[in-house]
Amino acid sequence: MSDRTLRIAAILVTLAGAGVAGYLTWAHFADQSVICVQGGGCEKVQQSSYSEIAGIPVAALGLASYVTVLALLVWDAPIARLSVATLAVVGLFFGAYLVAVQLVVIDAVCLWCMANDLVIGPALAVLTLLRLRT
Amino acid sequence: MATRSGTGQPTSRNSILIAVGIAAVVAIALVAGALLLRDDGGSSAAAVDVSGIPQEGSLLGDPNASVRLIEYADMQCPFCAEYSERMVPTLVNDYVGSGKVNADFRVVSILGADSEKAASYVLAAGKQNLMWEYQQELFRNQGPENSGWVTDQVLRKTAAAVPGLDVDRLFADAESADVTAQAHENMQGFQEAGAQGTPTLLVQIGEEDPYMIQVGLDPAALSAALDDALGG
Repeated sequence: MSDRTLRIAAILVTLAGAGVAGYLTWAHFADQSVICVQGGGCEKVQQSSYSEIAGIPVAALGLASYVTVLALLVWDAPIARLSVATLAVVGLFFGAYLVAVQLVVIDAVCLWCMANDLVIGPALAVLTLLRLRT
Repeated sequence: MATRSGTGQPTSRNSILIAVGIAAVVAIALVAGALLLRDDGGSSAAAVDVSGIPQEGSLLGDPNASVRLIEYADMQCPFCAEYSERMVPTLVNDYVGSGKVNADFRVVSILGADSEKAASYVLAAGKQNLMWEYQQELFRNQGPENSGWVTDQVLRKTAAAVPGLDVDRLFADAESADVTAQAHENMQGFQEAGAQGTPTLLVQIGEEDPYMIQVGLDPAALSAALDDALGG
């Protein structure tokens, strides 16, 4: 896979992640229920004490991270490539923590969060790490 | 550090190791920060754990218990919140849990709009047989009277703290005709009992007419009143 393809794929994945994080951030601040196919799970996760760090919604932190990743992907200097991969792997690890919290502590699953933590986050980490090999 | 010859750039393998290494350190710090800085509302555990006790609607305990303690309470009433914290543990641990007494929580709205809204959600929690957990949680998050503290956010936050409570269903049920009818019925019972304020406590022995008791916030006085009812 060429570097150009990897970069475009990473940008698309980042946009998807920003969309999910943006929606969850909006729902948090607008005091709205999250569209959820599994009754109550999303709400429970969104309203739990684990949904904020020092008063900042985790979703907002995610959105800020995706915006930063997008900016780094656009910049695309060597240091930006290393930074974006680092940030993506941080997201991967933190996503694993959030999955564990949902399954073990809160005992509820937010499908939007799971999509981000299990699909978008890992995909972004793989794509950005692969770019370091090219 | 190994470099690509002549470029001064780290090798790809080293770049990946650097990225993963830094990421691991940052992620550990982030998770530690998340755990240390998470906002748990500063709240303590619920006044008393009622999870192992049968519950149906507003009734906690064995429906066939010989004595029933009826409480009329307004979710905005500070005295009711105090009662929940200081008296309910004695009631539940010494009487309801053992099956001697059952407790009927009848929420009423006498203090204003916030009371009405809170009452609807407490009654809605009763439709999931989790009223006692929810009313305790809401009492612990009680705000200043008629300040508009009963927001959707507070209702969601408190609901999310109750294991097993379906929050979406709670919000839907709170608007239902059943809940409105139950709220009306509670107000009617409150007035018929001649209650002047909240909390109002009534003891009912078997099918006899309930009678009012005055126990203040003294668990010993509550025990004495219930022992008297059980002994009679």
